[in-house]
Amino acid sequence: MKKQLLPFLTIAATISLAACDVQTEDEANTVPEDYESFETTEKLSLELLGSPADETDLNIVRDQLNRNGFDVTLNTQPDYASYRSLRDAGNYDISIASWTTVTGNPDYSVRSLFTSNGDNSIISDEEVDALINEAALQTPEEYIETYDKLEQELVEENAYIVPLYNSLKAQAFNHDLLDPDTIRLSKSRAFAWEPVSYNDESVNETESLMLTQTMGDLTSLDPIKGNDGSINQLNTNMYVRLVNLTDDDDVVSEGSLSYIHAIAEGNADYYFVLRDDINFAAIEDGEAIDTGSLVSGQDVIYSLDRAKNPDSVPDHRTYSLHEHIDTVSLLTDMSELENTQLTDGSGSVLEALEAELETPISSVVESEDEVNNASGNYQVIKLTTTEPFPQVLNYLAHQSAGIVSQEQVESINTYDNDNFDITTDISYGDQRAITEGETYDNHLYASGPYIMIEKNDYEATFQKNPAYMTDTENEPNISNVTVRFIGDEDSALSALRSEEIDLMYGLGETKYEIVEDEENLTLQSRQSNGVKYLMINVDSDREVAQSADLRKAILYSINQDEISSAYDGLKLKAYTTVTPLVDTGNELIADPAKVEEFYQNYQDSGE
Amino acid sequence: MKSYQTNQIIQQFQFNNGLTWAYSILWLFLSIELQPFGISLPLLLIGVVNTGFSMIHQMLLYRVKQKSFNVENKPVVERILAALLILGLLAGNFFTFISGIMALKKSLSTGLIYSIYMVLVDILIIGVTSLNLFKPFVTNSFLTTLSILIITLVFHSLTLAFGQKVSNWNPGSQKFGLGLLLLSGLTGNLLVFLVAASFYSDNQPESKGKRQTSIRENLIKNHAALLGLLFISFLVTLALTSNFTFSYSFAVQNNYSNILQSPSIQYPFGTDNFGRDVFTRIVYGTQISLSVGVLATAIPLLIGGALGAISGFYGRQTDNIIMRLLDILYAIPGLLLAITIVAAFGASTTNLIIALSLGYIPSYARTMRANVLQVTNLEYIEAARALGQNNTQIILKHVIPNSMAPMIVRSTLTIGTAVIATSSLSYLGLGVEAHIPEWGNILRIGSQYLETYPYLAIYPGLAIILLVLSFNFLGDGIRDATDPRLN
Repeated sequence: MKKQLLPFLTIAATISLAACDVQTEDEANTVPEDYESFETTEKLSLELLGSPADETDLNIVRDQLNRNGFDVTLNTQPDYASYRSLRDAGNYDISIASWTTVTGNPDYSVRSLFTSNGDNSIISDEEVDALINEAALQTPEEYIETYDKLEQELVEENAYIVPLYNSLKAQAFNHDLLDPDTIRLSKSRAFAWEPVSYNDESVNETESLMLTQTMGDLTSLDPIKGNDGSINQLNTNMYVRLVNLTDDDDVVSEGSLSYIHAIAEGNADYYFVLRDDINFAAIEDGEAIDTGSLVSGQDVIYSLDRAKNPDSVPDHRTYSLHEHIDTVSLLTDMSELENTQLTDGSGSVLEALEAELETPISSVVESEDEVNNASGNYQVIKLTTTEPFPQVLNYLAHQSAGIVSQEQVESINTYDNDNFDITTDISYGDQRAITEGETYDNHLYASGPYIMIEKNDYEATFQKNPAYMTDTENEPNISNVTVRFIGDEDSALSALRSEEIDLMYGLGETKYEIVEDEENLTLQSRQSNGVKYLMINVDSDREVAQSADLRKAILYSINQDEISSAYDGLKLKAYTTVTPLVDTGNELIADPAKVEEFYQNYQDSGE
Repeated sequence: MKSYQTNQIIQQFQFNNGLTWAYSILWLFLSIELQPFGISLPLLLIGVVNTGFSMIHQMLLYRVKQKSFNVENKPVVERILAALLILGLLAGNFFTFISGIMALKKSLSTGLIYSIYMVLVDILIIGVTSLNLFKPFVTNSFLTTLSILIITLVFHSLTLAFGQKVSNWNPGSQKFGLGLLLLSGLTGNLLVFLVAASFYSDNQPESKGKRQTSIRENLIKNHAALLGLLFISFLVTLALTSNFTFSYSFAVQNNYSNILQSPSIQYPFGTDNFGRDVFTRIVYGTQISLSVGVLATAIPLLIGGALGAISGFYGRQTDNIIMRLLDILYAIPGLLLAITIVAAFGASTTNLIIALSLGYIPSYARTMRANVLQVTNLEYIEAARALGQNNTQIILKHVIPNSMAPMIVRSTLTIGTAVIATSSLSYLGLGVEAHIPEWGNILRIGSQYLETYPYLAIYPGLAIILLVLSFNFLGDGIRDATDPRLN
């Protein structure tokens, strides 16, 4: 009986399954007839280069290009160094690239990336060069239009780069411990330590503020010899500058070495009135002491002169930021201030400077010994630029323009520049002098609110400069700061949650939810100046270098909305690296029809 | 004195009893919902039903243990209870199903026991494949393949029910039946071959009354090994049939409107941060994990085996040169060697297999050499030499076949290690390309969402654990089966 039943069951099952109303893949992909469509054609193969940190972006770009018919080969290098060497060697069609404008001015966001002789540039286009140089000399109102043209030239006309997104910048801190009102999150500026205070102000003296950063191998504590994540925050807090950036990237004198600054008519002369309440700090027996040496105009001249001079130190990494500085000098004649008009024509420079001073300027002095602000004796720095260039102020706010002690640096850097041997010569700011162990011989002279006592592989300890703007609101609140070196974001977040550290700077979008769910943590986030984009290899004999049409086909394949949704919707749209700084209104809109059109043009031109 | 078959049943029941209770409790446990606190009704129901089956199982175990129990002539109550246990399959309880059939059958041949597991593989595959019906669309070959799978299941069920009566058929029908059975093994169900081999050898005239000593026959005593075999078979079948039943686009194409969805009937394991279906990714990941695991074991097995055999057989200088060179290789940590190779030549599946294989060669060579040294001193080698056979013939015909057993055990165990190594390298970003569905890759994405979306890491992690555990169980089983002291 069973034998007869089973075949019947089999047939019944098959039929009922076949009758099931399931849609097959072909049916699902059939385009309705009335739909105006275009065929996605097979396109050539592209090599996409990236490092493991770019995994999400690599995957999305690969996916989007694939869907538009390109055949993408991923080349994921195991670490940043090998990725970078392949990129420098030009072994790619398209590569993920990122840029953060740490100075907060648009010129910096394009000069080194897109000019023909830029140190990070592979683009050589006279029109682009001309636009960048034109915009550099313009005021913020004027340059919007120029940067708009530049963006069109870079993206729409030539598709040299394909923008992906503009990131947010975020930090999280323990609000049970730290006073939320004292924590700043700036758009460009590195995290400032001096305003931070504990809720319980009585522990500011005793408790150490625990911070973290990824890189523990410090490039150099000499401000001009490094410009990367390992030292930006540290040097910013160890060296005072002529001006500062506000959280929104405006240039101000607040919290800087100058009381006030003014731009003279013609945009080429700049005046800074220096304070007399900052002395250099040094380390003696593991404690920060006041050296009694004033951070003076002479130190400013020395610091800026070495900043702009490529030969002032071996391994100078930041001179291109300061190439617009022509001369720096101390003013000796007060009448110059009276006779010079402001750039906006609202009066003389002297009036503008005195407006902010408690004691009016009675005389401008040159010698450090004669300085006495209380009786009206000020040092005034005059800085001239090679051409009218208002954005120079942004560069002066950068950590590389930090003021160092002429006396101390000259006493340490006694080697001959031409015969410098990194293995034997210890130059000023070399991390070996601050690392615990045999080589320890802390020679730092800090002009900023804090000074580093010591570092090892796990952390660096700092103490406040005892002679830094004492009794002003800029005097550092917390006496001791420790920066833990935690290489991986997840571990750093765990450290924050377990109260091992008090504040975590730089937090990935996918971690926001975790922080928001923690009761004792506060999340701060804002738009940053960081832009991720695709660099197309235009400096090669590859197909992508030859055809703008092909590049445009790649450009219109990228859908920024989709990228953002993969990051919890927390990435902002970008058009070029200028986007976060200047609102040009340009936007990239993905368009598969344009992809086909430009690809067709590319093929036609090749035949 | 209990019969051998009764003992077999009791052992199986005891083994399954713990598992079925654990299985029931797992469902009950899963039905508890935290945040907000509550109970999921469907899960609770499954748990309760399974608890019921576990009670029946417990009861039957008690009755089978009684002295009066007789396999040949079971009372009606036992038969009804056993039939009920088979229904446990409907609640997803495989353990009561196995026990039920064992208790119901009159005689338990090797073929029959393998048939039970063979049918279970079919059922698992159909169940997993059917989940595709809830997707927006299925592959073009989905219905055809599913029908074939269902027909195979029916055929295998018939084999389970009537297979033992095959010996009564005429030789022509027997051959046809066996041929058909072998053909159904094309789905990837490895157990089919064990069933076919068992039926074939049982029907040999000389097999009657012979003591069962082959690995295949000894393996059925090890229930854990059989479960391992069941899962491995299931994965092999899944790896083969998924090409026709699972749409690859769900596994690799990003779907930005479906990012980080919680597990649902449409996405059984949820979706990842690119909106890809984690379930489909894990299914396709089986292909890579298994193939890399098997290849990374087969290559060192061949190369290491050959080198070991040569150096063991010829001894002296040959032995010294080969083994010292291999010692150098042995001194480099395997995973570190693999990382170096992948870092130098780039991440791809081929490089991964080569990288993993190299590290395993010395240990295989050592095992083989030790066996060969032992075997070459035995009399039959001397006899072969006396008969004038040359070295090549002796090595190939006598030495290697007699030294293989430990190598097989070793390789089963290494597959598990290789799967873990593959996943570890992918987890570190050094394995296969990041977008390709591979268990380590899936786990890596999951690790970023461990707190917010834990399912992204739990399921690929479970898959890796189960596969490795299965190979370890199977390896243990084979080792026991080849050990003459345990026979």
